[in-house]
Amino acid sequence: MELLSAITDFAAREPKIFAVILGLIGAAVLASVINVAAMAVVWLERKVMGDLQARYGPNRVGGRWGILQLGADAIKLFTKEDIIPRGADKSVYVWAPIVASATTMLVAGAIPFGAVIIDGREIPLVVANMDISALYVEAALSLMAIGAFMAGYSSNNKYSMLGAFRGVARMIAYEVPMGVCVISVAVMAHSLNLVEIVNAQQSIWFAVAQPLGFVIFAICLITDLGRMPFDQTEAEEEIIAGYNTEYSGIRFGLLYFQEYNMMLLGSILLVLLFLGGWNGPVIPVISFISPMIWFFMKLLIVLVALIWIRVSLVRFRIDQVTDLGWKVLLPLSLVNFVWAVAVGLYFA
Amino acid sequence: MSGEMVAVDYYIPLIMFLIIGALVPIGALAAVKIISPQKSTFRKRSTYEGGLRPIRDAGVQYNVQYYLFAIVFVIFDVEVLFLYPWIYVYASEAIPAVGGVSIAITGMLIFIVVLLIGLLYDIKKEALRWV
Repeated sequence: MELLSAITDFAAREPKIFAVILGLIGAAVLASVINVAAMAVVWLERKVMGDLQARYGPNRVGGRWGILQLGADAIKLFTKEDIIPRGADKSVYVWAPIVASATTMLVAGAIPFGAVIIDGREIPLVVANMDISALYVEAALSLMAIGAFMAGYSSNNKYSMLGAFRGVARMIAYEVPMGVCVISVAVMAHSLNLVEIVNAQQSIWFAVAQPLGFVIFAICLITDLGRMPFDQTEAEEEIIAGYNTEYSGIRFGLLYFQEYNMMLLGSILLVLLFLGGWNGPVIPVISFISPMIWFFMKLLIVLVALIWIRVSLVRFRIDQVTDLGWKVLLPLSLVNFVWAVAVGLYFA
Repeated sequence: MSGEMVAVDYYIPLIMFLIIGALVPIGALAAVKIISPQKSTFRKRSTYEGGLRPIRDAGVQYNVQYYLFAIVFVIFDVEVLFLYPWIYVYASEAIPAVGGVSIAITGMLIFIVVLLIGLLYDIKKEALRWV
């Protein structure tokens, strides 16, 4: 406890230096935690997909659960030859995975990764807890399209180009309804701060208070993450591998990993905004980390649901996807917004 | 430097995040430079196009419809941006009420209706048709 008070003391005396130190430590810790967690997500996806498709999934490297499979894949990607295609716009081609990875970290900086209880007080685990973190995270999440577009545009490959176009068209079609859903949540929570949004859900989850908003946000999230049934940017049967057709070796690995990092962060955002975050009854013996347990249970359910959706549904055509975004989800999200205002008034 | 933590200070850690986020892939690329084989040939570096020799480059002319999408997007995104500051206005008690309902809420409902009319017009004019 003395350490904690010493830290808060230092933060009050030297806020700027504290912010820099906090940023460096937080970024270094989170960069490794997120990447390891994303590996776990990849493993989970392959294993769950295997089960859902009545096959084994990875089961050779690292015992019958195939735990070391991802390590083996990483070693393979690192030892592959680094090829830059002749026609590529070299500087943009090289920078695309770097930009993609940096945007992932930008999202990670403002997302609370659960909370711990110290001295009966809930302390959220978040690096940059600013007033508008929900708006910030949503904005940073849509920056994803830039990395993908850079990759597709610079490859000088027709399939990559088509994938990049599709990615941007899809992003702008779903950006607006997603923003309206975030606003609807903020209207009920009276705040745009993610921690306060979670605290506002102590009595009722926003998924229950505005089910329509939850469904719309979930669809927009799956689209933003580019997962089945909305993975038109890399539809194998139509455009080879979409925006990353020309990428191989570690450069492909970075783009691929960034997708799974974003899947993890997006699922966390869904849990925070609609599923009550780390709220839950306090578990007696381990009350210190009981918010973390609830948080990770919800996160795991969302991740498995995303994988289940991927296995169950078939891919839409790109015109169906943009139509769904503009002509169905946008009006419905505005309806949900009015609903949120009305319900918020009724209970205020 | 000492004093209160101001709003801008929250963004300093994010800059660190941006730097570390860029350094991780740069480190990975540097490691690959050292440990991976480098035997590049002319054929290896050609663009993939169904196994045949690529015909022309990918600089395609795209339909003007894409611009319409972009313009509609800019309009709607800016309109949605107006809703964000409104949340704090809605939450404050200082706004006068007419007929039991706050002016902030009636104003926003009118704004939403105007937005919806605009969207219906765009759909009717086929500005949002994918080609």
